[in-house]
Amino acid sequence: MPWGGALLASILQNTLNALQWGSFYSLIALGYCLVYGVLLLINFAHGDVYMVGAYIAFFVATFLLASGGLPGWVVLAVTVPITMVLTAAVGVTLERVAYRPLRRKGAHRLYVVVTALMCGIILENGNLALLGAASRAFPELVTTTVFSLGDVKLTNLKVAVIVVAIGSFLILETIVSRTKIGMAMRALSYDRFALPLMGIPPDTVIVFTFVLGSSFAALAGLLFAMSYPVLDPYMGAMVGWKAFIAAVVGGIGEIRGAFAGGFLLGFVEIMVAAFLPSTFRDLIAFTILLFILWMKPTGLFGVARFQKI
Amino acid sequence: MALLDVKDVTQQFGGLRAVSSFSVALEERELVGLIGPNGAGKTTIFNLVSGFYQPTMGTIRFKDQPTAGLKPNHVTTLGVSRTFQNIRLWNDMTVLDNIRVAHHSQLSYGFFGCSFRSARYRDQEKDITANAMKTLEALDLDQYADEFPKNLPYGTRRKVEIARALSIHPRLLMLDEPAAGLNTADLTGLIDLIGWIHKEFPITIWMIEHQMQVVMSLCQRIQVIDFGATIAEGTPTEIQNNPAVIKAYLGDDTI
Amino acid sequence: MKRYAWLIPVLLLALIGFGPPLAAAEDVIKIGFNIELTGDIPDVGEASKNAAEYLKNQINNAGGFDVGGKKYKLQFIYEDNEAKAESAVSAAQKLITQDEVLAIVGPQASKQAVPAGEAANNLETPMISPWSTNPNTTKDRPYVFRGCFLDPFQGPVVAKFVTEEFKAKKAAVLYDIASDYPKGLAEFFKAAFEQMHGAGSIVAFETFTTKDKDFSAQLTKIVASGAEILFVPQYYNEVPMIIKQAKQLGWTKPIMGADAWAGGDLMGLCGDDCKGHFFPAHYSNVGAKGETKQFIDNYTELYKKTPDDVAALTYDAIGVVLAAIKQAGLTGKVKKDRTAIMEAMGKLKDYPGITGTMTFKPDGDPIKCAVVVKINNEGKFEFYKSVCP
Repeated sequence: MPWGGALLASILQNTLNALQWGSFYSLIALGYCLVYGVLLLINFAHGDVYMVGAYIAFFVATFLLASGGLPGWVVLAVTVPITMVLTAAVGVTLERVAYRPLRRKGAHRLYVVVTALMCGIILENGNLALLGAASRAFPELVTTTVFSLGDVKLTNLKVAVIVVAIGSFLILETIVSRTKIGMAMRALSYDRFALPLMGIPPDTVIVFTFVLGSSFAALAGLLFAMSYPVLDPYMGAMVGWKAFIAAVVGGIGEIRGAFAGGFLLGFVEIMVAAFLPSTFRDLIAFTILLFILWMKPTGLFGVARFQKI
Repeated sequence: MALLDVKDVTQQFGGLRAVSSFSVALEERELVGLIGPNGAGKTTIFNLVSGFYQPTMGTIRFKDQPTAGLKPNHVTTLGVSRTFQNIRLWNDMTVLDNIRVAHHSQLSYGFFGCSFRSARYRDQEKDITANAMKTLEALDLDQYADEFPKNLPYGTRRKVEIARALSIHPRLLMLDEPAAGLNTADLTGLIDLIGWIHKEFPITIWMIEHQMQVVMSLCQRIQVIDFGATIAEGTPTEIQNNPAVIKAYLGDDTI
Repeated sequence: MKRYAWLIPVLLLALIGFGPPLAAAEDVIKIGFNIELTGDIPDVGEASKNAAEYLKNQINNAGGFDVGGKKYKLQFIYEDNEAKAESAVSAAQKLITQDEVLAIVGPQASKQAVPAGEAANNLETPMISPWSTNPNTTKDRPYVFRGCFLDPFQGPVVAKFVTEEFKAKKAAVLYDIASDYPKGLAEFFKAAFEQMHGAGSIVAFETFTTKDKDFSAQLTKIVASGAEILFVPQYYNEVPMIIKQAKQLGWTKPIMGADAWAGGDLMGLCGDDCKGHFFPAHYSNVGAKGETKQFIDNYTELYKKTPDDVAALTYDAIGVVLAAIKQAGLTGKVKKDRTAIMEAMGKLKDYPGITGTMTFKPDGDPIKCAVVVKINNEGKFEFYKSVCP
C-alpha cells in the first residue's frame, strides 16, 4: 500500500480510537461539571462513583446471566437502567451522608472538597475490603463484531460508546437549558440563597444534580467495563483525575466545555501515543493541556465568573 | 386575624441577642415600614420570617399557620416573598429566565415531570413564558427580557428583582431596603412603583428602608426598632416626632 | 524468682539428656526446609512440603541415597518461616546451628529468600531457593543458589522460539515502561531478537504506563507495522485487555507472553481471546512427557492435586542438592561437607530436572531451558516445546 494511504488509514483509525477513549472522559467530566456548576464543589469522589458503577454493572449483568438464561442483549438492556439507578443512589448517598451535613454547618468549600477526596478513598478501599484485590472480568453481553472499512477497523461496541456519549451530552444539554429543573440548577449555581425564595427546594435540585451526574458515571462505567473488561477497585482513580482535568480545560461549569474537554483529552492522548513516542504520552498530552489553560485560563468554553464575597 | 403574626420573637446568635421579644401583626393589604439604625436587627427579622433562621424563642404565624421548622422554600410557597438589600438576581440568566424560575415554583417539582417533556409539560412551559412576559410588561420591563441583569443599570435591576419577587404570587412582599443605592430619579420611580404594586396587587407590603422620603410617602404605619427591640410604633407623622426615635437615630447628646 | 533458680541447671540437664541422639548422624543426610507453611502464601509452603515428602519417601523406600557406595537415609527438617522476612532468617539460623543440616532448600518467595540467603551465606551453608527470581537472592553469595531461571532469561527464549516456530523476522513489543519486570523483559527480548535479525527488526517498540486501559493507539501502530509476532511481557490482569483490543483492531497473528501470564486467573479474565497464544514458563503440568509426567501423575495421585511450578521446582532443587552431595562425597564433618557441597553445586553440569536441564554457574543462577506453553482450546496451559537459550 502506498505510504499516503497507510498514513490516512492510521489517522482515521486513531480518530475512532480517540472518539471512543474520549467518550469515557466526556461522560465522567459531565458529572464533575454538573456538581461543580451547581455547588462549586469539586466532587473528587466522582471517579470512584464511576468505578462503583462499573462494579454494579458487573454484578447486575453476572447475576442476570446466571439466573435467567436470557440472551445477552436483553441482559444489557436491563442492566443499563438498573446500574444507572443504583449508582445514582450511591451518588445521592454521598451527598446526603457526607456533603450535605457540612453544607448545613456552613463549612468552607475546602472542607467539602477534602471530604470528597476522602469519600473517594473510602469507596476504593471499601470495595477492596469487600471484594478483594482480584480483578474481575466483565461478561461479554453482546458479541463484539469487527467491521473493516479498508484498513480501518470498527467494532459495534466502539460505535455504541461514541453514540451514547454524544446522546448523553445532548440529553443533558437539553435538561439544563430547557427544563425547569435545569433552570433551577443554573439559578442555584449563581445564587443559592435566592432560590428558596422562589419556593424551590435547593436540596431537591442538588439531589437531582447528583442523580444526573452519577447515572452518567454509571453509563460510563458500564460501557468501560464492556470495552475494557477487567475491573479493579482503583480503575476510577486515574481516569477520574484525568476527566476532571478535561472538565477544567473545557471550562468547568459549562456542559459543552466538559464534553469537548473529554474528547480533547482523548484525542491528545491517542494522537500523541500514535504519532510520537508513546513513552511521552502523558508528558506531552498534559503539556498541551497546560498550554491551553495558559492561553485561556477559564478553559475552552469557560466564561470568567467573579464571585462576590 | 392578621396575615402575619409575629409574637415575642427572640433570636440569639451565641451571646448576641440580635432580636429580642419582637412582635408585629400585619393585616391584609397593609403597607408597613420597619426602620431603625444599622445593626438594629431588621434584616434578621426578615430572615426569621422568610425561614432562613429559626427563632430562639417566640412564634411566627402566617395565614394562621405556624412557620416554625419550615424551610425557606416552604415559607415561600405559603406566599411570602422578599428582595435583598444587595440585589440577588441570577446575573448569567436572562431577565425572562429569572422570572420564569419563579413561575416554575407554581409547578410540582417531581423528578419525572421535569426529565421527560410531555405534551402537558410543553403547554405549561408556554404558559409560564407568557405569564412571565406579562409580569415584565406590567412593570414596564419587557424590553429587557433577553438582557442579562449584570448588564442593566442598578435601578432597573432593582425593579427586576421586585418583579421576580412578585412572580410567585405572594400574599406578603418583604422589601429589604429597596431604595439602597438608587439615585434621585430612580427613587421617585421606585416610590411610584411600590405604590402602584400596592394598589394593583392584593398583597401586603412590609419594607425595611432608610430613605425617609420613601418611608414617609408610602407607609401607612411604621415600626422602629433598636438593639433588636421595638422602641416606637405609629403613623409616619407620629414617628417623625417621637423623641425616642430621634434619640436612637441621632444619639443621646443631641437632645 | 530466686526460689526457682535451682530449676535452671535441671532444665539444662534435661535438654542435653533428651536431645536428638548424636550417634544417628552417621548414616543420615539432613536437609533443612525453610518454607512458607503459614502466612500469606500457605499454598506455596504446602506444595513445597508435598514435593519434598514425595521425593524423600521414594528414595528412602528404595533403601536410601547412595553416596560413595554407602546408603544414607534422608532426613528432612521443615521450618515454617510464616512468609515473614525475620522468621525466615531465624528459621535458617535454627536449621544451620541447631539442626546442623547439610543444605537448605527454600525460602520460596524473594521477600524471605533474600534475607535468609544472607544468613545462610554468612554461616557458610549451601542454600537453594527453588522459586525466587530476585537477582539479590544469589548476588555476591557463593553459598546461595536458585532453581529457576531469572526474568531476563525469558527474552532470549522468546526470541529464539518465535524465530524457530513462526520464522518471524519482524516483531513488535508492547510493554509497561513504568514497571521493572516488563521493561526488563522487553529490552532483553529486543536485544536478543535484533542480534538474530539485525537492527530494525523490532518494527514497533511501544510503551504504556501502569494502570492504562486503552492501548488502541499503540496497537494501531503495531498492526500497521507489519510485525509477525507481538511480545507482551505483562501481568495476567493487563493481558486480557491488550489481547482483546489487538483483536478488535485487526491483529490475527500470534502473541507471545511471559511467565507472569500464569500468575493469576488469566483465563477467567480473558476467556476465549487468549486461546492459541504462547508464553514461556518454568514448567507445565499439561502435556508433559517422561520423568516430568511420571512426577505429575504420582504427585496427583498422592495429594489429589496437580503439582504447580513451586512443587516441580522444589523437587528439582532437592535433586540438585542431592546430586551435589553425591559428587562432593561425605566426610561426616558438617562444616567441611557444606563447603564441598557448595563447590560441587556451582560446577553441576546438565542436571536433568523435571523443569528442564540445569547447568549452574558459580554465581548461583542456573542456565536452564524454559518450557514454552500454549494456551490450548480448553484454556489450559499446555506444554508446547522446551526452548534452551
